[in-house]
Amino acid sequence: MIHLAKHRKRFFILIALLAIAIALALPRPASESVPLGEQQTVETAQPRLCVHTLLENEVEEAKIKRSLQLTRELGAATIVQFFPWAYAETQPGDYSWFHADRIIRHARRQGINVIARLGLVPAWARPSGSDSPTTLNFLPEASFDHFARYAGAFAARYREAIQAIIIWNEPNVSFEWGYRPVDPAAYTRLLRDSYQQIKTANPDAQVLAGALAPTLEAAGSAAGLNEIEYLSAMYQAGASPYFDALAIHTYGFREPPAAAPAPQRLNFRRAELLRRVLIANGDGAKRAFITEFGWNDHPRWSGAVRPSQRSAYTIQAFEYAAAHWDWVENLCVWALRYPADLLSYPDNFTLMSADFREKPIYFALQDYARGWKRSERPWLLPPSAD
Amino acid sequence: MAAATQRRLTRRKILSLAIPLALAAALILASLLIHRNAPPNINRAFPGGEIVVGLDASFPPFALDDGESVRGLDIDLAKAIGSELEMPVRFLNIGFYALHDALISGQVDLLISALRIDPARTQELRYTGSYFDNGLVTVTAATGRDSNLESPAKPRIAYEYASNADSQIRGWEGADRALQRLPYELPEYALDALRLGLADSAIVDATTLRLYLRARAEWGARYEYITHEPYAIAIRIDRVDAWKLVDSALAALKENGKLATIIDKWL
Repeated sequence: MIHLAKHRKRFFILIALLAIAIALALPRPASESVPLGEQQTVETAQPRLCVHTLLENEVEEAKIKRSLQLTRELGAATIVQFFPWAYAETQPGDYSWFHADRIIRHARRQGINVIARLGLVPAWARPSGSDSPTTLNFLPEASFDHFARYAGAFAARYREAIQAIIIWNEPNVSFEWGYRPVDPAAYTRLLRDSYQQIKTANPDAQVLAGALAPTLEAAGSAAGLNEIEYLSAMYQAGASPYFDALAIHTYGFREPPAAAPAPQRLNFRRAELLRRVLIANGDGAKRAFITEFGWNDHPRWSGAVRPSQRSAYTIQAFEYAAAHWDWVENLCVWALRYPADLLSYPDNFTLMSADFREKPIYFALQDYARGWKRSERPWLLPPSAD
Repeated sequence: MAAATQRRLTRRKILSLAIPLALAAALILASLLIHRNAPPNINRAFPGGEIVVGLDASFPPFALDDGESVRGLDIDLAKAIGSELEMPVRFLNIGFYALHDALISGQVDLLISALRIDPARTQELRYTGSYFDNGLVTVTAATGRDSNLESPAKPRIAYEYASNADSQIRGWEGADRALQRLPYELPEYALDALRLGLADSAIVDATTLRLYLRARAEWGARYEYITHEPYAIAIRIDRVDAWKLVDSALAALKENGKLATIIDKWL
């Protein structure tokens, strides 16, 4: 009897250990290592202020949260955030929303709206076996349907959280089109397929086309095609029914925001040339989202201005848009912060360093958005011998 | 007896298979070793018969497209490497964000574009040795105090606000170093402050200092590096021959003084 009891005891211990092992091996819902905190709201006098975040490559959840807190404290109620297809669907049909969920959760808790940008092709959806590897921007036509299904799945999952989705990024430059000749008709087919999937999943979601790069490239250039001609070609390919609004990238370079636009000039008001294309094609009722804009203040980049000019120009751009651009929904500054410094002049497009050190423009924008009056200049006046 | 004969036959069969297999393996190994140690082949390295260099020509004095041609330190360096290797050089002006994709997808053979060595990219790229160090330097007037920051009780340090120098100085403050910070909008203003005696030292990057000194040959300044930011040439990781050749050419340019001449021309 004692012998049997001893065996039974061992048996139960064994079963218990087995159960623990199985429980540990089973997939579990992701635990929250960083608390979301209290529900927040964005206090701002500039509801169109938006920043482009780059949280897709941010590994640490605490940094995602910190970035979004600083966005809210800036007074920006909206972000544009990239959700790479290559990260979400590493095997066909096998979606992982872990990282996207994390970003959306924290954004919502901070009271921030999210405009999603979709792109970046998983290896299985690209050609293989070639001597020259394809880049992550190479989307063969045979994979358009796969991408569109991802867009639909994304729209369905974030039906409550995301109401605007940008299809691809800057397809008018060959680098963003997988280093192939740009192809407005092919992009239009991608837009059509994506639009149909997104609307099926969430009829209320706005599909944003374009996000075209500001460039002067002429037809036939290996580098791409200027966005004005590219958008016109999209219309010729029948794009009109397949987007609700236009995403626009417009950078100021060395010109102030009020500088007049012209086809051969790159400046902030170049966005108006795209607006003219919409109107010319009977789409004047469609709104636009400036999903990237800004100035750079690197001391040596040829397209840069001084830090004080950068702050002033950025605020003047908001003022100009408020006065003249009633067709613009949001203006999104590129960029809040990079997860790691790029180690060159593009680092001077950000509002803060990778280690969360706010730059003068962050404080200037915060004053503007929050209605604060901080007159303290962060630097000394230029030294003089007097 | 029959069993012993069978064993002998089996052994013979095994040997008859094993010997050729071992020989084949030895040959493969030898060929791999020979190939590994073989001198790089210029035609294999650049099968197009030219070196295609990718760069962002918006970053003077390293590369700038003035509308007619691209000019700068990186351009001259690429041409010098082409001369060393007796290969023509062609330039492809690409935006910064597209540089690495251009290399990975084989659009270009090399990147020479004021690129700092980035350890995060070493799984897909090989870097040559450095051709310029754009680290931060602490600058003092040649006639002033010693550059040792401890010398004055509370040294006045001029720098560009929100720059890498700013981070460096804040780090020193965190280490309880008594300093008087003099932030300026531009790094050149920090050097002006030093030159005018309003600061004990200035901290700027090496390029800023060299350009400033070129424009003010009469002003004597001493400097020493406090951080290192090496610029190097990037090559796709599988292009071993190209990497060996370019790295050797760069080493030769350092050795024969041509690299120093190029740097002095632009900085």
